[in-house]
Amino acid sequence: MPKRIRLDKSIITENDRLAAGLARRYDAAGVLAVNLMSSPGSGKTTLLEETARALGGRFRMACIEGDLATDHDARRIEAAGMPCQLINTGGGCHLNAGQVGRALDAFRLEDLDVLFIENVGNLVCPAAFDLGEHRRVVVSSTPEGDDKPAKYPVAFRLADCVVLNKIDLVGATDFSVEAFRRYLAGVKADLPILELSCKTGEGLAGWFQWVTDARDALGRPARSGTRPGRPAPAKK
Amino acid sequence: MHEISLAQAIWGQVEAEMARLGGRLLALDVAVGAFSGADPETLEFALGLLAGRSDWPDAQVRLRTEPLALACRGCGAEFDVAGMALACPSCGSMDADPVRGTEVRLESLDVETDGAEADTSG
Repeated sequence: MPKRIRLDKSIITENDRLAAGLARRYDAAGVLAVNLMSSPGSGKTTLLEETARALGGRFRMACIEGDLATDHDARRIEAAGMPCQLINTGGGCHLNAGQVGRALDAFRLEDLDVLFIENVGNLVCPAAFDLGEHRRVVVSSTPEGDDKPAKYPVAFRLADCVVLNKIDLVGATDFSVEAFRRYLAGVKADLPILELSCKTGEGLAGWFQWVTDARDALGRPARSGTRPGRPAPAKK
Repeated sequence: MHEISLAQAIWGQVEAEMARLGGRLLALDVAVGAFSGADPETLEFALGLLAGRSDWPDAQVRLRTEPLALACRGCGAEFDVAGMALACPSCGSMDADPVRGTEVRLESLDVETDGAEADTSG
């Protein structure tokens, strides 16, 4: 006789399992892990170069760099003073937890305060792959248009912070900061938005403060938001 | 973009359940959250592909999409989200936590057993 068996089980993928292992490694070492996501060309690498120069004296930092091809970005970050481990994904459009786990072996995590993971430039797939990070940052930039949060709601909804880069170009484009904020509020309430320009330095202090605060908050329950494939947080 | 790995995880779960339950698998029901990051059509294709390689190649894959459901932090109301209208319909607050629609779930299995305990529910 046919019978229906109710299960209602969340699907945990192999990546979710590996990401949970990464999260334990970060926590055991006491290192803050920050996953940076954006479209190609938003300025993740430049932001990390500025971060290396500004915070290099305060924090011991390292970077895992995800790129389809070339070591251009990894070399730039190293030249700015941040040790960098490159992952060339070939055709891969995102980093997964297995790749990050192997790249981590290049570092002594206990000797680090902050680990940045620069994801492959793509606002779709990286959002679906948990890397065990404490914080997720989406970098957007004014030439991309002000409706990015509405077009990539999954990525922006998962963010703990949004960096709006190239704010110095706002006058040269049709970008409306007000519209960007409105679209973003439609996806997630109370998300910090850091308007800055890596070119002119405007607003960078706010980003350095955010990194410092996130680092200081380590040890307290820090992770927030939900990930695809991860159950929603229990209701209070 | 990761539907194959999701499909593999779903079939892994199905196989574990079937090892426990015994019998023959007739159908599986999967719910795909609108904010899960998975594409339902691609996932359905991948599940069908893997069904052909399973011990139950004729099992029917039933897939439904589940809207994003939020619980308002202001007034506690739970509501489904259509499109981009994320504001609470009761109090207008934008501050809400997801309660459904962010994950992929294996909801149920239809199993043919030799046992006498018939259950015709559903």
